[in-house]
Amino acid sequence: MDTIVVEHIAKSFGETQAVKDVSFSVRPGEIFGLLGPNGSGKTTSIRVILDIYQPEKGTVEILGGPMNEEKLNQIGYLPEERGLYQDVELSRNLTYLATLKNMTREEIDQKLPVWLERFDLSDHQKKKTKELSKGMQQKAQLIAALIHDPEIIIIDEPFTALDPVNTQLVKDLLIDLRDEGRTIMMSTHQMNQVEQLCDRLVLIDHGTVLLEGDLKEIQTQFATNQVLIQTDSELPENIKGVQSIQEEGLYYRLTPADGLSPRVVLQELIDQRISLSSFEIATPTLDEIFIKVVSEGRNGNEEDN
Amino acid sequence: MKKIIDVARYEYTHHVAKRRFWIALLGIPVGFLLVMGLSLLFSYLSFDTEPVGYIDQANLITQPQEVPENIGFLDIFIELIPYTDEQAARADTENSEIQGFVVIPAGYESTYQLTYYSNKQPSSDVTSRINELLRENLLLQEQIPNLERVMEGSRISLESLDGSQSSDGSSWHRIIVPVLTGILYFILVMSSSGYLLQSLVEEKQNRTMEMMITSMTPNQLMIGKIIGNLGVGLTQILVWVLIIAIGLFFFQGRLSFLSEMRLSPGAIAISMALLVLAYIVAAGLFAIIGASMSTMEEAQSVTGLMVLPMMLPMYFFQSFFTNPNGVIPKIFSYFPLSAPMSLSLRMAFTRVPTWEIVLVFVILIVSIVLVFWLSGRAFRRGLLEYNKRIKLRDLFVKEVSHG
Repeated sequence: MDTIVVEHIAKSFGETQAVKDVSFSVRPGEIFGLLGPNGSGKTTSIRVILDIYQPEKGTVEILGGPMNEEKLNQIGYLPEERGLYQDVELSRNLTYLATLKNMTREEIDQKLPVWLERFDLSDHQKKKTKELSKGMQQKAQLIAALIHDPEIIIIDEPFTALDPVNTQLVKDLLIDLRDEGRTIMMSTHQMNQVEQLCDRLVLIDHGTVLLEGDLKEIQTQFATNQVLIQTDSELPENIKGVQSIQEEGLYYRLTPADGLSPRVVLQELIDQRISLSSFEIATPTLDEIFIKVVSEGRNGNEEDN
Repeated sequence: MKKIIDVARYEYTHHVAKRRFWIALLGIPVGFLLVMGLSLLFSYLSFDTEPVGYIDQANLITQPQEVPENIGFLDIFIELIPYTDEQAARADTENSEIQGFVVIPAGYESTYQLTYYSNKQPSSDVTSRINELLRENLLLQEQIPNLERVMEGSRISLESLDGSQSSDGSSWHRIIVPVLTGILYFILVMSSSGYLLQSLVEEKQNRTMEMMITSMTPNQLMIGKIIGNLGVGLTQILVWVLIIAIGLFFFQGRLSFLSEMRLSPGAIAISMALLVLAYIVAAGLFAIIGASMSTMEEAQSVTGLMVLPMMLPMYFFQSFFTNPNGVIPKIFSYFPLSAPMSLSLRMAFTRVPTWEIVLVFVILIVSIVLVFWLSGRAFRRGLLEYNKRIKLRDLFVKEVSHG
């Protein structure tokens, strides 16, 4: 049974159709990426999943049925708009939010110090939220999402205010949580994070799904036969069997002529005695796939119109 | 239920633990007493309590004015001093020993004409003191038995036609319950609904609302908040009642009229029940406002509109006296926000049929259900619209049709 099943949901606000038709499912124990450009309907979809908004069409199933209070307690949520009481001490803030997830005082007293320690916030627990840096507030918000040991973790743009050290900390944490069997749904537009973390993903734009599936399969599906090489020697202007050569920093990107495989190109480079320090098949980055799919989707829409 | 209690407890401690709560709590009665005291002092100072002289050429005054043993600080007492000759009175007036003097001429009993000599207009207190003195002395000549009692007038007791309501006629303490109900209601709504509004708008501004409604239903959140803030308001009232009780304890000797007070426990119970129900309606409306507005300034401008219907019975106080079963008192007692004071005022002045009391309670309960239903929508709809105001129409139309 899939943990979250979203089927053909639609939600509009007045004249604005935030979500037109979105369907996807999140499997147990995976990190699932909900991707899309700004304003594509990611946050609205999350709010529909969390039962904050009622969809006009479609259904959402959480753990095999509609949302209820018991299930809300099993969800950890990091909203895009971070929300902590600004005028209240950090520890009181987190204690209150944890009680609302049905934790007892004893459980909180036991777990909160561990989490504060893990996020290096122990020394700041008596400070008011507004006295903390953006990054600290973000970590505190993550504690609020995770302290009650939720089955399902839904996080909206988890890395925005974090420095590289804390980004790594959160990434490691998410991987640990997945390995413990938690289901994680992450919404972001930072593609490099998705590449490193997500098992599967859905890409939406203008409230519709453009792409859904396994990360590796998607990358293979969008793979071209381009190759990336690194070399100390000067490249000749024309290489037999190569249609175009682009310089990209330390690399050259070679596009083989129609119908030729990268192996033929490699052979040609060796024949021309070009010394290679690396040769690899260019897997498309998620960024590239993202831009390609989104712009094709938009062009398609314009043509439809 | 646990979450409702958690929210209520947080709301309560959050406000009560703040210094600003206690400053407001103690500041209001202190400020009130200060204003009261100052205005009493000023009005006392503006009274001319200097003695007034009289020259009794008609030989009417056989019993001079009684001087009370204790004259309180704020009591207005004008002493009337007898003079035998005009020169002395004139001299004392010029030296400001007395503010003026009156001459009771021989033959007063046929003319009833007096002359008052002064450079100042006599206050109404002065003229009534002089009249009082003359009246008493003139009546004394008539040898009327029990004169004192006759002057005091009758004690009138009232009874309704079916005998269900009676009173000893001194009606001032009948309005104590309604007026106290009105005052308590107003303070409770203004203070605790103010806190409720503030906490909602703050949660919207802090973006904590999204955390809240992914942990519980909007109605649980609202009920928790209403209970917590009601607690804050009741704490406030309790502290004030304590202050008043301490004050009464110290001044009980001077407030003998309090022991004459007889209050009907039934009327108190009904008034308090009305008060709590109407408070919940008002709090629910405040919650809708809080959920629909994005800043405190915006919210406050709308709350002004809420105060008006609450104050209605005050503006039309007269019609409750003259015709408690008239159209205006009836309409006000059916309208949820003005019900507590209106119905208890009517109950003080007339016999309100039981069915009407039941009807008012039914209206209040239906209003609570409606307001909760609406505010549940406002929460879903408005709480995440951080920068936009929600129109009331949207609450009814859009979400319902999609619902």
